[in-house]
Amino acid sequence: MILDGTLPARVAGIDSLSPTLKRFRFEPERGCFPTAAPGAHVLVTLRGPERVWKNAYSLVTPPEARDAYAIIVRRVEESRGGSHFLHDHLRPGDRVEIGTPASLFPIASLARRHVLIGGGIGLTPFLSFLPVLRERGAAFELHQYCTDAETETFGRLLAEAGGAVTIHGSTSRRSVAEILADQPLGTHVYTCGPERLMAAVEAAALDLGWPSHSIHKESFGGAEGGKPFSVRLARSGRSIAVSDTQSLLEALEAAGIEAPCLCRGGACGVCLTGVIDGEVEHRDHVLTEAERADGKLIATCVSRARSDALVLDL
Amino acid sequence: MTDQGIKSRPIYATLRRDSSGRRHLYVSAGSGPPPDALAQDGLESWTVAPTTCEGTLPRPEGVGERRFRSTRYLMETLGRRLAGERMGLRLYVEGPEDFLWDVYGVAQAHGLGRQEIFLKQSGTLARRVQCVHCKTFNEGVTTTIVRCAGCGANLFVRDHFSRRLSAFQGVKIDAEQPGDVPQAERAYP
Ligand code: FES
Repeated sequence: MILDGTLPARVAGIDSLSPTLKRFRFEPERGCFPTAAPGAHVLVTLRGPERVWKNAYSLVTPPEARDAYAIIVRRVEESRGGSHFLHDHLRPGDRVEIGTPASLFPIASLARRHVLIGGGIGLTPFLSFLPVLRERGAAFELHQYCTDAETETFGRLLAEAGGAVTIHGSTSRRSVAEILADQPLGTHVYTCGPERLMAAVEAAALDLGWPSHSIHKESFGGAEGGKPFSVRLARSGRSIAVSDTQSLLEALEAAGIEAPCLCRGGACGVCLTGVIDGEVEHRDHVLTEAERADGKLIATCVSRARSDALVLDL
Repeated sequence: MTDQGIKSRPIYATLRRDSSGRRHLYVSAGSGPPPDALAQDGLESWTVAPTTCEGTLPRPEGVGERRFRSTRYLMETLGRRLAGERMGLRLYVEGPEDFLWDVYGVAQAHGLGRQEIFLKQSGTLARRVQCVHCKTFNEGVTTTIVRCAGCGANLFVRDHFSRRLSAFQGVKIDAEQPGDVPQAERAYP
């Protein structure tokens, strides 16, 4: 699952979709990009003047597109994650490193109907689902939740998808439970967006008796800051400080440590690292309750320390 | 000879109510009541009235109960029912193995998945055997060796079970030495 090797690329185009949303198109320095699965994301390495970011973004290009990849990024106010850099500094022609695409959010092959529920920028993985679902002639419907100010922007992005799409602004929206209440056997639901929306989708589906295999969530680059802490690496003896706006993974990377990762959103488990001492504040979706209680592992991409320091098996 | 150590033999657990479901349908090839672990409020129960009851007065159907005069009729009705069903259904199936997998096939074709179907073998262990040579299905086979109704070959009933065909595989036993057919044993009563 750990993907090494980055694909050297250049920024080929930047479109402004709304005051806070931009689409970035990347072209390979040479040859073609690999084919990506629907719902795939890439890790984009951004080298700013003071620091380096490595962020996961869903590809919004059709899976078979190999001449270019595109991502859509929202510029968020408290940019600990590098969206300011992308929005304000990246220019056409700039170089970027892109990781091999990986998919943790596949289209279920046995499903007979697909219900896609996006929230805000969480729409992005579905943009690569749509051409595939259309080509397969699959039965699907897409619901996009967003603020009233953004219904038009998302409407334009979804224009080609036609009648299967409903955009729910903040003033008039159908509840998730209503959408899920009347679905035929063999339906799968996929959701990507704010944690609250995804939790609501999962709870509504389970409440209606949907089996867990038919519910799919994409956890999207969700690291949030927190109290600063320090880590000691048992094998090398090094000590590293993690600031309030940094994730543990980012702090390790900034210190030049090759730390494994894939989703950077607490969903894949690739970054799990042994904890020798200290108390962990778990924020991932991969560890079981028992593993959390055990406290022997930490998902470095999202989780932090509850104690002042952690000792890691690195 | 009954346990040939073949892995495609499914293993069945007893039926228990899956409380994560919202509607529960029990389908049986027999005519008995559903097991207690299932029979709570709101269980629908579909059974087949046995042919031996013909002419006798059947007991009246209770709430949520339906009796079908044949397995085939039950299966057709099930197909129509599932076509209109919504997410949240759990299907519990009880009966001989070929019945279980016939129902499973219908359920799967209508979108039910492994988490929504529960199977329990009961009743006769008689097997549906497909002759690998002429593809004829031989129903209700109770012996280790059977003469194929299609091509007349003496078939050894292998433990190899096809969930797609709901049938065991029968292969010619005297292919090497024609006429060298061991005694058939009654193994699947
Ligand atoms: S990188 Fe996927 S869980 Fe941390």
